[in-house]
Amino acid sequence: MDATAQTTRILFEQFSPWAINLFYAFGYAAIACFLYGSYVQVRKYRRGQPDASWGQLAARFGDMARTMLTHRTLKRRDHAAGAAHAMIFFSFIALFVGTATITLEVDILKPLFGITFWKGGFYLLFSLVLDLAGLGLIGGLLYMMYRRKWMALPKLDYTRPDRQPGDPDYDRSAYRREDWAFLWTLILIGITGYVLEASRLVWLSGDAGVWDSRFWSPVGALLAHSLMGLGLDASGAGTLRGGLWWFHGLLALSFIALIPFTKVKHIFTASASLMFRDPLAGRRLPKVPETQEAAGYQAITDLTWKNLLHLDACTKCGRCHEACPARTVGAPLSPRDVILSLREFANHALAASSLPDKAELSIHGKGPGQVFMETLWSCRTCLACVEICPVAVEHVPIIVQMRRKLVEEGQMEPILQKTLQTIHKTGNSFGESKRKRGAWTKGLPFPVKDARKEPVETLWFVGDYAAFDPRNQKVTQAFARLLHAAGEDFGLLLDGELNAGNDVRRVGEEGLYEHLASSNIATLEGCEFKRIVTTDPHSFNTIRNEYPEFADPALRGLFQIEHYSTVLLKLIQNGRLTLKKHLSHRVTFHDPCHLGRFNKGYDAPRELLALIGCTLVEMPRNRDNSFCCGAGGGRIWIPDPVGMEKPAQNRMKEAAGLPDIDVFVVACPKDLTMFEDALKTTPGCEGRFVVRELIELIAECVEAADPAPAALAAAPAMA
Amino acid sequence: MKILVAVKQVAALDEDFEIRADGLDVDEDFLLFDLNEWDDYSLEEAMKIKEASSGDVEVVVVSIGPERVDESLRKCLAKGADRALRVWDDAIEGSDSSVMARLLAAVVRKEAPDMVFAGVQSSDHAFAATGIGLAGELGWPHAAVVNALDYAPGARQASLKRELEGGVSQSVTLQCPAVLTIQLGINTPRYASLRGIKQANAKPIDVLGLGDLGVAASTVGVDASLSRVRRMYIPPKGRAQMIEGSPDQQAARLVEIIREFKGA
Repeated sequence: MDATAQTTRILFEQFSPWAINLFYAFGYAAIACFLYGSYVQVRKYRRGQPDASWGQLAARFGDMARTMLTHRTLKRRDHAAGAAHAMIFFSFIALFVGTATITLEVDILKPLFGITFWKGGFYLLFSLVLDLAGLGLIGGLLYMMYRRKWMALPKLDYTRPDRQPGDPDYDRSAYRREDWAFLWTLILIGITGYVLEASRLVWLSGDAGVWDSRFWSPVGALLAHSLMGLGLDASGAGTLRGGLWWFHGLLALSFIALIPFTKVKHIFTASASLMFRDPLAGRRLPKVPETQEAAGYQAITDLTWKNLLHLDACTKCGRCHEACPARTVGAPLSPRDVILSLREFANHALAASSLPDKAELSIHGKGPGQVFMETLWSCRTCLACVEICPVAVEHVPIIVQMRRKLVEEGQMEPILQKTLQTIHKTGNSFGESKRKRGAWTKGLPFPVKDARKEPVETLWFVGDYAAFDPRNQKVTQAFARLLHAAGEDFGLLLDGELNAGNDVRRVGEEGLYEHLASSNIATLEGCEFKRIVTTDPHSFNTIRNEYPEFADPALRGLFQIEHYSTVLLKLIQNGRLTLKKHLSHRVTFHDPCHLGRFNKGYDAPRELLALIGCTLVEMPRNRDNSFCCGAGGGRIWIPDPVGMEKPAQNRMKEAAGLPDIDVFVVACPKDLTMFEDALKTTPGCEGRFVVRELIELIAECVEAADPAPAALAAAPAMA
Repeated sequence: MKILVAVKQVAALDEDFEIRADGLDVDEDFLLFDLNEWDDYSLEEAMKIKEASSGDVEVVVVSIGPERVDESLRKCLAKGADRALRVWDDAIEGSDSSVMARLLAAVVRKEAPDMVFAGVQSSDHAFAATGIGLAGELGWPHAAVVNALDYAPGARQASLKRELEGGVSQSVTLQCPAVLTIQLGINTPRYASLRGIKQANAKPIDVLGLGDLGVAASTVGVDASLSRVRRMYIPPKGRAQMIEGSPDQQAARLVEIIREFKGA
């Protein structure tokens, strides 16, 4: 029989029985501490409101496992950190599974059934894998330490834009200490593990059964040779091993015991958060149940258990902090800090065995852990935070729920109040007469159908900005001409159309949204059409993602809506629109939040730009990382503070940093308004390029008078 | 303790409106109805008194008008008014503010409030007479154009400030019960969320007819009014004119006009 077949490691070698019992006592205490802490956390979540995210658990689990195994979300926009996390993650799993394997044999299979398997070839392979896993763990941790200490990443700066220096929780320094304690504890567990392994090898160097197979633990063996080179002998190693064994063991047990009380709990909370992610988070906001008396979140207990779980999943990676347009321009909002404030509030208020008074549960206000009204109103609901969060924290729905409460109490800018009242009264944010909604059609050389009176193939939902804003009306007319030129059978709702409500809902005026949505739905249900088309990404989003929830279940198929970019692309591709000329502009393209991030419509506008001959130069922040123009979430109705940079101006500077751009192309009426304004008010940008709607460029190509070959070659360059 | 707030649903003109065939008013198709802006402030003032008081204060809103007025009353209920009353009878159609004051006085006698608020004026007809006429009908003390008020529910006296022309203010003490007409800017009216308005559907709006108030039909309507509208019309365009052309041309023309006026 091969001698190595019996090779194993003797656990507790030369330990007295009382020492072993003592260790088991510590072990049980650590587990008890872990279980109690977990119970407190679960009790906290159970104090939240119900959420309908149960169900499809297998699919959810699969989705979570895929995300975790690929580290897809962690590698985005910070590949090195994601890779380092993957090293720590997989090493940790290997080490955990390894330890669990030993427990399985020693504490369960062997005493109960006399089965042993942790020996021979399996043991040696096991040694090799765990030895290398230790290397991965330490390597990953070293990078994380380097990153925290020397890379000076702004996203890891915990100082808050919504608090002043001197405020008690301004710099969140406790988190910084916790981060370092976490890193040091883990790395010390790893390092002492190796030293322990090496000292055991030196101690047992006389035992051929141990010593001959030492290179199955290559790192430990090399360290053992080094220690021997430094003069460590077997008896010295024995002493070292004795002390270090307890240090390593107790450190590891403390780590386990403290999991529910420290950031280490993200192992569980982040996984669960990923599992309960809502793929439509922010795109489709939660309804207020008919029976619910008060709308929105006033108290921490108004949050759902899922919200509370998301709060605990945050690891302060700062990706949302970095992506937030409000934070970027210096507004008092960081999505990270909203989440952390609420988490601290929840831990403070919901951890005790009994709940405090209702009055002490309010999350609105100026106290520690409370969220300022200014913070909530700074949000543009652009979803940059939700989209980039590696652990599926859903910031925007929480912010909107909190705004609903502010709206109920009238805690908002007076001008926003006026706008909401205007929308209620006139059905549009411009305060124009309903009758004027179709006024832009008077400039067309052909009549436009009233979709309420006759069946149409395509029902065009125009939206407020495209219908009432004089600059956008030109674009709207151009799109009408394009549809007409393509022979498309289309019609409008004219004065039957109301503001689609996308932004009203994101403001938090849910009652007004319900009114607008149900009125539009009733109008749409009375029309005969095949599909809905819009040039407005905001209307597009709410009709596509939110209207179905308000409609008769049998009629949900009605809300097949397309953004103009896919419509025009198809019309050109199938030859119904002919490009009589090409433009040789160098352009950059701004992804509208509601088309891109909200609905993944990244490609059609780019394909259109390529078809009309434009050279696309991407801005550094593009596609899913597109930078909001600042108009979302109802902020188009609230003037930005004087003296502070506007998000649109920040965007203009980004575009101006590109070499030789002719045109800044947009695909959203609000973008046209915001960026034409920002171009004029951003120093050094005016005259560098022009802002144009994609529709205008396409119309220029389709409507060119003379498709002379010369025009194709030498389209005029724009200043 | 009760505060009665008299409110009115006013009309605003829609784009391209037309005058009614009888020439006495704008065609109702072209009118957008909403609560009179002044009434937002007088209701808010009543709500502030109610909320600051530890005692039981009832805020009752009253309006005169057809069924469409319920929508405005519901807005008041959404903002926190306890009850709403609507007075209507087809005979009331065409009444002027003297008749309105008489009807409101009947409501006050029935409700016996400790204080009555009304807006300074309505934004559509702008007589600024109903509130003061009401005080006259009742023989109660009154103050018009109140822009600051210090009043504890049930107190015998109220202290207030009145806004006079030319930047002058008047500080006044008056005996209660009294009728006050409230000026814009006295407070910041709250927002009535749409959910709040919907939920206010559950609160009652009592409709009172002439019989309920003990008012004879012969004392209301056009014939019982002290004034009547003879004609509503759009006056000929004034001297305002748009200056067309490029900014340079516009500026040059503007200078020309200023010189003409200066007589240079």
